[in-house]
Formats: sequence, structure tokens, C-alpha cells
Amino acid sequence: MPSKMPPKIDLPLDADTLVSSPVVPVHPTQALRGVLGNAMPAAVEQLRRIRPRRREGAPVSRRKWLVYLSLLGPGIVTASAGNDAGGIATYSNAGAQYGYGLIWAMIVLIPALAVVQEMCARMGAVTGKGLTDLIREEFSLRWTAFVMLALLVANGGIVISEFVGIAAAFELFGVSKYLSVPLMSLVIWVLIAKGSYRRVERVFLVMALVLFTYPIAAFLAHPDWGNVARQTVHPSVSFSGAYLFAVVTLIGTTISPYMQLYVQSSVAEKGVSPQDFPVTRADVYIGSLFANVVAILIIVATGATLFVKGIQIQDAADAARALEPLAGPFAKVLFGVGLLGASLLAAGVLPLATAYGISEAFGFEKGVNRGWRDAPVFLGIFTGLIAIGAIVALIPGLPLVQVLLFTQLINGLALPFVLISVLRLVNNRDLMGKYCNGRIYNVIAIITTVVVSLLSVALLINTFLGFFGLGLK
Amino acid sequence: MLYLSQLINAPVRDRTGERIASVRDVLLRFGEGHPPLTGIIARQGRRNFLIKFASIATITAREITLSTTKINLEPFERRDGEILLSRDVLDRQLIDVNGKRVVRVNDLQIAFVDGQYRVIGVDVGARALMSRLGFGRKSDRPVLGDVIDWKDIEYLAVNAPSVGLKVSHDRLGKLHPADIANIIEDLSYHEGSEIVSSLDDETAADTLEELDDSRQAEIIGGLDSERAADILEEMAPDDAADVLADLPQEKQDELLALMEQDESDDVRELLEYRDNTAGGLMTTDYIAVPMTMTVEQALGYLRAMDPDEQPDMVYYFYVVEHGPDVPADAAFKPQDDVPEYLRGVVTLRQLTLAEPTTPLTEVMERDLITASPTDRADDAARQLIEYGLYALPVTEEDHSLLGIITVDDAMERLLPGSWRQRLRVFS
Repeated sequence: MPSKMPPKIDLPLDADTLVSSPVVPVHPTQALRGVLGNAMPAAVEQLRRIRPRRREGAPVSRRKWLVYLSLLGPGIVTASAGNDAGGIATYSNAGAQYGYGLIWAMIVLIPALAVVQEMCARMGAVTGKGLTDLIREEFSLRWTAFVMLALLVANGGIVISEFVGIAAAFELFGVSKYLSVPLMSLVIWVLIAKGSYRRVERVFLVMALVLFTYPIAAFLAHPDWGNVARQTVHPSVSFSGAYLFAVVTLIGTTISPYMQLYVQSSVAEKGVSPQDFPVTRADVYIGSLFANVVAILIIVATGATLFVKGIQIQDAADAARALEPLAGPFAKVLFGVGLLGASLLAAGVLPLATAYGISEAFGFEKGVNRGWRDAPVFLGIFTGLIAIGAIVALIPGLPLVQVLLFTQLINGLALPFVLISVLRLVNNRDLMGKYCNGRIYNVIAIITTVVVSLLSVALLINTFLGFFGLGLK
Repeated sequence: MLYLSQLINAPVRDRTGERIASVRDVLLRFGEGHPPLTGIIARQGRRNFLIKFASIATITAREITLSTTKINLEPFERRDGEILLSRDVLDRQLIDVNGKRVVRVNDLQIAFVDGQYRVIGVDVGARALMSRLGFGRKSDRPVLGDVIDWKDIEYLAVNAPSVGLKVSHDRLGKLHPADIANIIEDLSYHEGSEIVSSLDDETAADTLEELDDSRQAEIIGGLDSERAADILEEMAPDDAADVLADLPQEKQDELLALMEQDESDDVRELLEYRDNTAGGLMTTDYIAVPMTMTVEQALGYLRAMDPDEQPDMVYYFYVVEHGPDVPADAAFKPQDDVPEYLRGVVTLRQLTLAEPTTPLTEVMERDLITASPTDRADDAARQLIEYGLYALPVTEEDHSLLGIITVDDAMERLLPGSWRQRLRVFS
């Protein structure tokens, strides 16, 4: 609640504070003047009482939008984030291509995701700092630069996938991507730079919630649950390049590096103390379980509709057919709305979060209202990511699904570096004290890291050998 | 001038030029101004040891040469009040007091001043980063604006928890509370708590009021309880109530018990109301004067109040009548348990312009716009704005005055840019 107490009543309004917030949409003083007209002299007293708000209006403080999102509970947010354009493409593709054959991987990923998320959340609670801060403070500058580069590339990949998602969603409604993508990228940039993003964010969020109809569609498709169970328990693991690719993309989209940054920052921002951490831990576990269950049901929904008919996903219209058992002819609309909401949401949040994380690690000025002169790196990253996302999505004849999968692959490849950093940090006794990892935890976390790393390396080698015609097919 | 990044890993040579160790870190005894370095931590084999400046002949950007051939290989142990520049300062966040901002240390400047090596500046520029990564030459630096004088920074003791630093945040405490709040928002909550606990009670209260509710609660909850209660007493009762409402019940009770009776009674009263009602938005910080007073007496009453008790909102004097069992004399003392029935309002302007001997009942406005404590907070706020008031009284049906909603609280509630409003949508 605002105070009645003007911090120091005899001070003039802090000129710096006012001048440095040029994008404040309605400054309280202006608003007040508008409301009261040229009110009485006593209004001067009142104007001082309404303090010049600190850089208000824009999503200036990263902290604040994190707080806002985290009110939803990190669990649901995690689930939603996995349900972005890339996630839906990856899970749908896994279902269409392998039926229920990759569900086992999602089951294995439940403890992996839970453990990784919990470690980051715990670091947030104990240190009160974000992951990029800790990496900078505890590791060499070279490693920091390397990990930040990996994050930039991985998040850049996700931003591309979101714009591809925007393009695909609009095309479902018959709008050309050459119209929708430039327009939407401009809209997102302006909304964020002018500080009004939060006003529309809710709309995007509600739209994205439409995608939670997948579980219903999965049940209505009447899948052969016995078969689902059989294939989950006795998967026919193949060692082909395509199978490896599918597994790494599943990992990349489920345990994406961005989510680790996110969960740690949001816990740090909520100010969860180590004593209160068990509640957050439960939330993170439930969230991980929930996210993977939703993913599994997307696979089941597509497996029961597309795989059985032998349909491979080539575009959004194919993917939308998985919702037909629920929505019938309206499947496209439902899918389009959900995809658009999820893509717009992430296309706004990710560039901003990336710019904040990297600027913070390197100590650059940050905040969308700082202007190009003061915060060139911050605005550069944020603008550059949106521009690259839009430009790549505009390439004519771009194979949508392949691009979506490829961006998840980049995430899978960047993940080992983030996981190695996380493991080293969480086992640093100076930093974590008695909240270091226990043995069982380390075993699960190390296995996850090693397996993810090996799979990534295997995929790279296989792709490389593929150039010489030697790779696994 | 030297840079810390040049010294780290530089060879340490004895008088004959033989390399005997390499620099691991630089030791600084924490202090005011530009404190001198106290030694170099060198590493030989697997051991770290301290080289005192007495045995160092020269320090250059490339190497350190000792004045002796023998060094004392006593292993280095950390002591209170000493920090390691590379480990505890480099790459960490500091507060730039002049710039009113949080900066990250990309490099440190070291120079020989007044017969000793001292830390003189903090390089926060991008060029320092590039040169540490091997791009660009060292001589390219420094660029104006990239380097902050060491005496203008404040170090956060939580960054070196093991060495019991006593860091004063006196200079930070002189900034405007809104600026201090900005800085706190850029820091972790440990660091934020360190700053708030170093401020005097009043500044701490003003600073907390500038932070958003959850952060206020997190910092208050993290402070020593006695201290937290002192700060809460300094806060406006409605703000204190908001902070307490965000804390667990036990903590809330504990803090209320530690607060002074008057203050905690007000806060308790406000805690009764739900957050999104007019009652939740109001404060009990207002001036109420009995109907029997004259203009002069009313002004005298305000002046005579204990400065701590004088409300922030003095533009409206609420004219009240007590129940029949309270003697209506001029020696008026507000009593919490006696209902005050709102009969009118006099503005400060009217009081200033009216004849001193005029009874309040002659100048007061009798047609009042009021809100009920159970009204929706947004509706009450909108009502206040619509009628162009500075405050809106909140009364029960029998007209007993409970509190007022002030215009700044109402504005904050209604402004599109206000975070509170947005937060509520999801809470």
C-alpha cells in the first residue's frame, strides 16, 4: 500500500527521477492534474505525497514481472512454459512419429526435471540471487561468457520458435505470415518498450490456457490405454539418428535452460527463505510432474489421432487435428488461439528475460526505459532477439515443424553447460552451506547431466558423420 | 596504475628473478576512503601463503618482485575485517552511492598513493570485460564514466560472510528513500536486509514503504524482531498493516506485541479489514477535532500534538461528536475505544482564512461523502477521485469515523501503471 509519508516533504521532486522515466505512460502528477483540474495550491502538498514513482509504467523491474508471474505458482508457470510453440511441436511430433513409443522418455524426465528445478529453486532461496549472477560471481569470466553465449543462442532459438508459432497460428486463420509476423514483432516490441506489455499479457495467458484442453482431447480420442502402458514399460528403443534427434528435442524442450533461470529468479524474488523452502520444493515437484503429465497427454492425443492414421505433422493444421476428438471442426480454431497465445506470451517474456539475465551477469545497465544511450546492450539483446525471431520466421518456404524441432535441439545442446554450472554451484559449500546437495540428489543430477551430455555429443557426432554418409539413419 | 586482473596469476619472483609462486589474490583491510592493500596471496604448489608488502620490491602489470630471497611460507588464513579482492569483490555487485545504482565490478584499479598500494577505483565498463576475455589491449582503458572512485562505493558485507565485516551504509542512508528502494530492488533480499537494518528507523520505514508489499514483508520478516517492530512503528499504520498481513500469523503476533501500544492498536484495527475493501485501503492517521472547538483551538490542537502523532494528511480536519457519556470539553484527547461520530469537515484553507474565534460548526461542511468499510476499495478510490477530494472518510452506518482513504493511496490503486492493481488481478 502506498504510504502517506512523503519521504522528505521539503525536498523538491527529485528531478532525476522524473527525467529518467520518459516512457511513464501517465505520471501520477499528470494523472492527478487531469483528475483534479488545476486544483488548489494545497495540491502541491499532495503531489509531493504522491512520490515520483520509481521508473514506473514499464516492466522496468525484472523483479516485478517475476513476482507477478510467480504468483501463479512456479508449478503452473513451468507447465505453461513447456507448452509453448516449440513444446507443442515437439510433443506432437513425438506422438505422430512414434505413437506412444517415446512416453517412457517423458516418464524418465519427471525426476530429472524435478531434481534440476529443485536445485535451482533451492539456490534461489539460499542465495537470493539469480542463476546468471551466481555464474558470474563464482566462475571465471571466460566460463561466464561461454555459458551466457550458450543461453543467448538457446533462448534465441526459442524466440525463433515462438515467431514460427505466431506465423503458423495466423496461417490457420488464413492470414499470411508476411503480414502477421512483421506486425506482431512490431507490436511486441512497442508494447514492451513502452511499458504496456503487462496489460495485454493477461490476454495472451488466457489464450494459452486453451492448450490445456489437450488432456481432455487425449481422453476423448479413446486411446488404447493398455497399449500406452505396454509401450511405456517396454519401449522399443531404437538407435537411429531420427530417434536420437527426437529424444534430444524432448529433453531440450522439457528441461530447457531458460526454465532453470526462470525458476531460480522467481524463487529469489519471492524471497523464499531456506526455512520456508519445503513449500516451494513441493510446488516445484508438483509443477514438474504436472508439466510432464500434460506433455505425455499431448503425445497420447497425437498418437491416438495422427499416428494411427499414419499422418506426419507438416504444418499447424496437421497438429491441430489432435484436438478434433474434443472440438471437431473447431479444432483448428482452438489450436490456433492456444498456439497464438502461448507464442505471443513467450515471444514477449523471453527476449526481456534474456536481456535482463545477461545484462545482470555482465553488469550492464538494464531496463526498457533506460534508452539506447544508457543501456545499449540490454536493448540490443532484447531488440535483436525479436528481430532475429521475426526474420527467420519470414524466410520463404521455411519448413515450420523442422525449425521448431531444431530450436529445441539447440536447447538440448546448450543444456549440459547450464547443468554443469548448476551442479558445481549447488555443491559449493561456501555458497550453499548446509543446503548443498545430498548424495541421492547428486546421483540423479549427475546421471541427468551425463546422459544429456552424452546424448548431445552422440547426436552431434552422428550429424557430423551424416555429412560423410556414415551416420545412423 | 595497475588493474587487479593483471595481477591475478602474475608471477612472483624473488630478488634474483627466479619465479617462486604466482599471485592468487590481493588482501585488503576494509576501511574508509582508499584503504591500503595489506598483502598478496601467492600460491606455490598447493599452498596459499601471504606475502606482506614489506617484502615486495616492485609491482608491475607483469610481475611482482620481492626484495628478499626468502619468504615465509606460512599458510594463509582469513582474518576478520580483511577481504580478498578477487574472491570477494571482483565480479560482484557494489553500490555506487553517487550514481544511486548497483554496479558490477569488472575490474579494480590499484595505484601507489601516499606511500602505499591502494584500491582507488572500480571499473564497471564493458571494455574491462573485453580485455579480461582477451579482446582489446589494457591500455585502451580507462574510459571516462567506466571507473568509479572506490570511496564512492559501498560494499555489501553479505558478500564476505565469513570475515565479520562491519560495513557502514551511512552514505547510502543519506539518499532519498525512493533511491534506496531502487537500489534494494536490484539486489538480493539478503543484501536488501543488510541495507535496511543499517538505516535509522525512520529512513528504513520510508524506504520500505517504497518497496512492493511482498518485498517489504520479506525484509521485515528477516530482521531481528525488536528492530522490525521499531521500524513498523515508524511506518504509516496502513502500510504497517499491509506488511504484517503478508507475514505468517505467529510472526505477526510477535511483532504486534513488541510494538508500542498506540501504534499496534491502530495496526490491529486495520488488519481486521480485507485487503480489497475500503477498510483495507484506509489509514487511521487523521485529525479529528470535537464540535465544540473554535478555529483557533483546532489549529492549536494540531500544533500541540506530539510530532510523531501529527498525521501526514493535515488538509482536512474531521469534526466529530462523542457519545453522550463523554464530556465535551476543549481539552480533547482522542480515545481509541470511544466512538467518534463524524459531523463535518473543515479544510486547512478554511481554518487559515476564518476568524480565530469562529466555532468550527459555523465553517464546517456538513454534507459529506463517505465510504463504508466494506465497500470495494476500487469503488471508494474512484469516488474520492470523482469528487476531487484529498481524502475520503470511512464510517460505519451510525457515522462513527473509522479512518480515511488518502488520495495517494487511491491513485496508486487506480493508476494504470500501478503494479498493485496488476498483482491483485492474479492474487
